[in-house]
Amino acid sequence: MTLSSSPSAAPASVRRRLLRRIGGDHVATDRAVLILHDVTKVYPNGKTALGDVDLVIPEGDFVFLVGPSGAGKSTLIKLLIRDELATRGAVILDGQDLARLPRRNVSKVRRKIGIVFQDFKLLPTKTVWENVAFALEVTGTPRGRIRPAVDRVLALVGLTAQQSQLPGQLSGGEQQRTAIARALVHDPRLIIADEPTGNLDPLISWEIIQLLLRINDLGVTVLMATHNADVVTALRKRVVALEEGRIIRDEVGGIYHRVD
Amino acid sequence: MFTFVAFSLKRAWEGFWRNALMSLAATATMVLMLLLLAGFWILQAGLQAGLEYTESKVEVVADLKDTATPSDVTAIEDRLHLMPEVKDVHYVSREDALAIYRARLAEQGETDLTRYLDANPLHASLEVKLVDPKVFGDVVEKLRAEPAVDKVKEQQKTVDSLLTITNVLRTAGTVILIVIALIVLFIIVNTIRLAVVARAEEIEIMRLVGASDAFIRWPFVFEGAMVGLLGAALTLGVLFVAADPIGNFMIGFFTVLPLRFGTLTRDIIVLVAGAGLGLGILGSWVSVRTYLIR
Repeated sequence: MTLSSSPSAAPASVRRRLLRRIGGDHVATDRAVLILHDVTKVYPNGKTALGDVDLVIPEGDFVFLVGPSGAGKSTLIKLLIRDELATRGAVILDGQDLARLPRRNVSKVRRKIGIVFQDFKLLPTKTVWENVAFALEVTGTPRGRIRPAVDRVLALVGLTAQQSQLPGQLSGGEQQRTAIARALVHDPRLIIADEPTGNLDPLISWEIIQLLLRINDLGVTVLMATHNADVVTALRKRVVALEEGRIIRDEVGGIYHRVD
Repeated sequence: MFTFVAFSLKRAWEGFWRNALMSLAATATMVLMLLLLAGFWILQAGLQAGLEYTESKVEVVADLKDTATPSDVTAIEDRLHLMPEVKDVHYVSREDALAIYRARLAEQGETDLTRYLDANPLHASLEVKLVDPKVFGDVVEKLRAEPAVDKVKEQQKTVDSLLTITNVLRTAGTVILIVIALIVLFIIVNTIRLAVVARAEEIEIMRLVGASDAFIRWPFVFEGAMVGLLGAALTLGVLFVAADPIGNFMIGFFTVLPLRFGTLTRDIIVLVAGAGLGLGILGSWVSVRTYLIR
């Protein structure tokens, strides 16, 4: 396996425009957004959370990460956002080896990832608009650039009308869409969704999945950890199954459970 | 850079008022601690002034023979002035000595028996003030060698023990002041940590969306500085309201000591404002560290 991945020649805006024009079609590319090579994670207490994990996610891919609780999904996500460092092996995000990343550059790499959680993690005292703008403010984005960017992503997730409401006044689905808008506002290379439908009823869950699919169609790579078997089986996307810290299955067009 | 400073100040202001109760609790703790610090400082300064005053009283006294002529006295005075250890020489005549003695008796309410005497029993003397009370040099020996000098009051031992006491008091005062400062720091850090923990969720979100350490840390540091400055201002307010009673107490406690309240006031303003600001900043800096990128 080759680990060399030169930085994209085209700037993000050009790439995105290009992708929008292609519109909808799965974008084939030989460029990997994420490469995990022989990754092992052993926690200080001696527990091995991940063992010899190899995973390549090309740009534009939509990947379901499935597996029982404690299989290592959360650890994998922590490695991707460099909340934890791999004990062995390389985690390469957008061409950068996270293990060799200087501490001061960690925040810059995190801006290439949009992350969405089961519990939304919205600030209850800020409005929808402010919650999304917060992600730009805290990364030092000049004021003039914040407004158009926030307006754009709120339109994308369909929350323009609710922009001045507080999270407490929204439904679960709307709260999750706010979180997705916040994840998108940095123009990320990769969206990581950790059980995004875990707190939502089936109908709303589908709404969220549809939104993630649409974002994927715009060219953003999506990695979604989920327990939702119906969704995984129905969509026939790529499925990576973890069990006891190892990848036991990685297939395109997969279903939630292994067919024996 | 401007964006960063503006952002941090805005967030600090918001943060202070969002959790107003917690901020006020931190400020109240700060005020109490600064009052403790300032109170001890005032006490220490009073003690210090007292010690300096006592030290300045230390002198060498040479009793003169009754046969000593004014020219003898002047000659001795001139020779003493040439010695580098000597700060000042003061001549007390026999009449002066009697007057001082009578005044002291009157002050203590004792009956003056000296008027029943036919002659003045006291001697004239030379009081020599030293530049440094610890350094006598040859002053005592030189005076003893003078023919007009009757006897030199040996004060070396008294001075030594007095200086030991003052040094112990000074060291103890400094140690206690440092201990109080450490306790204050500990309490302030814990109070601010509570305020930071209350916003742990917000900090987590900031980290996840890619905020750099500086963007996470500085709003809290500014907020800590706000708490510190507000606390300092309130403390100084309390101190100025209480300044007269404190001043009276000081004068009552240390009696006739020449306390310079002007410099004391300036020192206290600098101390309280500096300590408040420093403790606030240090407290937030330490508290927020746990949440930064590992």
